[in-house]
Amino acid sequence: MHLFFQLVKESILFASHSLLANKLRTFLSLLGITIGIFAIITVFTVTDSLEKNIRGSIESLGNNVVIVEKWPWAFGGDYPWWKYMLRPTARVSDLEAILQSSKTTEAAAFRVDTKKRVQYFDNMVENATISGVSADYNLVSNFEIEQGRYFTQLESDNGKNVAILGKVLQEGLFSPGENPLGKDVKMFGRKFTIIGIVKKQGESMMGNSMDNQVMIPLNFIRNILDVRAESNEPYIAVKAKAGVSNAQLKDELTGILRGERRLQPGTEDNFALNETSVLSKGFDGLFDVIGMVGWIIGGFSILVGGFGIANIMFVSVKERTNLIGIQKSLGAKNYFILLQFLSEAIFLSLIGGLLGLFIIWIITLFAGDAFGMEITLTLSNTVLGLTISFLIGIISGFVPAYSAAQLDPVEAIRQ
Amino acid sequence: MKRPLILSIICVIGFLWVVITFPGVFSPSVKKLGVFMPAVYGLIVAATFISFIGVWHLKRWGMELYALSFFSKMLFFILTKSFEMTSYVGIVFSAWFMITYLFYYRKMDVNL
Repeated sequence: MHLFFQLVKESILFASHSLLANKLRTFLSLLGITIGIFAIITVFTVTDSLEKNIRGSIESLGNNVVIVEKWPWAFGGDYPWWKYMLRPTARVSDLEAILQSSKTTEAAAFRVDTKKRVQYFDNMVENATISGVSADYNLVSNFEIEQGRYFTQLESDNGKNVAILGKVLQEGLFSPGENPLGKDVKMFGRKFTIIGIVKKQGESMMGNSMDNQVMIPLNFIRNILDVRAESNEPYIAVKAKAGVSNAQLKDELTGILRGERRLQPGTEDNFALNETSVLSKGFDGLFDVIGMVGWIIGGFSILVGGFGIANIMFVSVKERTNLIGIQKSLGAKNYFILLQFLSEAIFLSLIGGLLGLFIIWIITLFAGDAFGMEITLTLSNTVLGLTISFLIGIISGFVPAYSAAQLDPVEAIRQ
Repeated sequence: MKRPLILSIICVIGFLWVVITFPGVFSPSVKKLGVFMPAVYGLIVAATFISFIGVWHLKRWGMELYALSFFSKMLFFILTKSFEMTSYVGIVFSAWFMITYLFYYRKMDVNL
């Protein structure tokens, strides 16, 4: 066994000497693998990062939350949009009916959005999203308060002029180190006291990050804004109790809302009950397609790289035929010659793969800022890149290595 | 011994089969099974490829490696619950390959 490992070690040394002796040839032949690994792992890295970002954004809406609104999220081929146009938007009375009658609901909240300027002395942020939210919005949405607190029941009920700022807005309005709590900002020409700051969430592919939003009580915004107007995107988020499925919740909500809207039996619902799972399923198909395209493009690049390595290994065997003859006549076993050339091919391929992965890693360091989202080279993609390189090395190197191992020593020495 | 025509045909089919299945190693479906699953599946595919080279040169280790890679592949499919229609086609072909190999096994070379 010791002798076997000694021979393996020696064959790897032979291989590395040969690679170092022909630096330019080594570089050119591993370039094919580098490009192949770069192509395929780049696509996987970008799609994985995109998927992570989008799924994170969807999950921030809540997995066990049903959204009551006018339009359904699922679009089919025969989407009857003209029917949905005539529907009423979500109303505060719908929320009251849900809170009063539902037995499967843990919490429900109404939300309405508008875009306005937010001002703190001379500092101002244009087009910030101002959300009017009802009391339990913190129970149906995923966000954390970093500083301060959420609205009290009294503040929500009385529609007090208090506000909770997103992190980006805080950074835009206040100087670093300045405590915003208790300070007054101006919106709709009125003063609002800051009572809380939402923890930074980062960019969201779905555009639902709280970073650039201000939350104020719904009962305040109702006095200024028409909360029924479609342009203000009103919706009700309903969270199911533990152990209650979304299907059960939707069944109950359908009954409650049909009763509240006085819909006759047999008539169609005039509201949509949306779930985040609908969005997730929609994206599943998209990511499968992107992954498949990347797989095909990368597959061809890898194939070309593999042919390059096989070609260079055949040249290598031809060049060193007499050396192989001498080694065999001095007692070298067939597997020693095989391992020598096979390890050279694997080594070459692995260096190519590592180079490709290194380039991707360098790009990910800078690409995150350029694309406005975190792009990371994951462990799974690194392992995949190295695996592909290793396998390409074996597959493209085995035939030349085996043909070298099968050479007759006498014939080989003569060449 | 001259290589029988049937073994040449099997090897050519086998080489083509490996070329077709190799991209499957890094397909999204295998990737979803786990971090190291493409590596495991890839090694099985590489072993299958090498086994066909062995059979092409009429070596016993080629047939033995083919049998080993076939059962490893079956185990992989069972453990990962990833049997598909193509897997059953693969089983039929593999069974045919192995039965044919067995006819020539005694005449094959025992050396590397």
